Amino acid sequence: MNRTTESYIEIINLSKSFGSHKVLDNINLTVNRGEVVAIIGPSGSGKSTLLRCLNFLTRSESGEIKFQNRSWSLNSEGKRYKGKKYEKSLSELRSEVGMVFQNFNVFPHKTAVQNVELGLIKVRKMTKNSAREIAIKKLEQVGLGDKINQYPDKLSGGQKQRVAIARALALEPRVMLFDEVTSSLDPELVGGILEEIRRLANTGITMLVVTHEMGFAFQVAHRIVFMDSGKIVEVGTPDEIRNSQEPRTRAFLSAIL
Amino acid sequence: MGNSKSFFEFEAVVSSWDILLKGFAVAMFAATLATALAIILGLVVALMRLSTVAIYRWIAFAFTQFFRGVPLYVLLVWVYFGLAIAVNINLSAILAGVVTLALLNAGYLSETFRSGILAIDSGQIEAGLALGLSKQVVFKEIVLPQAFRIVIPPMGNQYVDAIKDSAILSIIGVPELMRESQQLANLYYQPFEFYTCAGLLYLIAVVLVSRGTNKLEKRFYTHSAQN
Ligand SMILES: Nc1ncnc2c1ncn2[C@@H]1O[C@H](COP(=O)(O)OP(=O)(O)OP(=O)(O)O)[C@@H](O)[C@H]1O
Ligand SMILES: [Mg+2]
Repeated sequence: MNRTTESYIEIINLSKSFGSHKVLDNINLTVNRGEVVAIIGPSGSGKSTLLRCLNFLTRSESGEIKFQNRSWSLNSEGKRYKGKKYEKSLSELRSEVGMVFQNFNVFPHKTAVQNVELGLIKVRKMTKNSAREIAIKKLEQVGLGDKINQYPDKLSGGQKQRVAIARALALEPRVMLFDEVTSSLDPELVGGILEEIRRLANTGITMLVVTHEMGFAFQVAHRIVFMDSGKIVEVGTPDEIRNSQEPRTRAFLSAIL
Repeated sequence: MGNSKSFFEFEAVVSSWDILLKGFAVAMFAATLATALAIILGLVVALMRLSTVAIYRWIAFAFTQFFRGVPLYVLLVWVYFGLAIAVNINLSAILAGVVTLALLNAGYLSETFRSGILAIDSGQIEAGLALGLSKQVVFKEIVLPQAFRIVIPPMGNQYVDAIKDSAILSIIGVPELMRESQQLANLYYQPFEFYTCAGLLYLIAVVLVSRGTNKLEKRFYTHSAQN
């Protein structure tokens, strides 16, 4: 695999509260280019919130996020970015950070291929023809070559999730975020989607994967982050986490495995 | 038939048919134009209502409350006579009628549109933003088409209301179906016949509009199940 030791994403002292409820409590994590990081932990521990902070769908109230040493939270004087211009510039970041959601969020009024080409046309400013060409190629890659003109209501959950993956990948992002992307799938469809992610992991793209599929996490991830109550309890290689002496990690793993 | 008057005399109605149809056409013209204007205005007001700018929200809120709160009758009098007296704007009767119906319906439609927009799953918006689309593109490409599908039935209802409400334009002399029926009824002393005939014409229009909306709805619903 093409993992490097070049730090790519840096999360520094990140905190987020909803009202008085501290959902992320001083998170620090560095992810290297090409690394696959699995985030595990009990429900409500803040995994999704952490992922959403990375493309600023959720705004943290303190701390910093850097991509390739460029801070997306603080300006050169150390002040927090805000305002309309900043909002606009986030589009640039988001087009480099693909995200796939638990409940697919495919656009129901667009066909599979229209779902995939939208970003290419509107974000990458491609012509309709070249966007379509790429969109078809991406759909073929995820095994939907024969469904390009279907509307989502004619697709299975697994197929919708493939559309969502193709839609994110079409923009050739440098980072992919997966948030429990198999959790709303029928059991027989889970394997296929995990296979898709596994294949992607081998291409050297940087990935953060929130998952309840422990077997998958331990197989595919270079490192595993265990979260509980808004804190990172432990970070380690799959072996380190498997043999962890940390009581909370052990309790979680023994309950779930 | 002897000298006893039968229950329903057709002759006068049939011989005045062209006048009634012309009145009907005027009514449909006023209702259709007013609804079209109300859709545009209603959408603008709905967007203002959802804006982050407080002053826009307030103006939109006041607009909606006002035009939903004032009776059509009063509004019509204000627009037709009031504007002329107060600011010397003399609208023709038909224009005043269209403007009045448009304002009233925009008040209702703005609320319809607002709730249609708010009904779109936030996951849809987030998926768009996550692709790097701007808020404007997300709105135009993702929110609006899905919201439109939701508001087709209430929009159809609003159009139906406008058609029936157009009858009130008779009070300012717009030569629409109600006004013409009134005059013919007085001329022939046959109110029952003429008003029944007018009623049937309104009914036909309403049934046709409902069928049209159903068709439109079906077309948009074919591929619309949320995820
Ligand atoms: N928009 C929000 N408003 C208020 N509270 C929120 C919001 N989003 C998340 N939370 C709360 O933050 C906490 C962490 O949520 P989060 O979704 O990050 O957990 P999670 O680890 O992804 O859980 P799960 O495994 O169930 O998906 C939860 O207690 C949740 O109720
Ligand atoms: Mg979650």
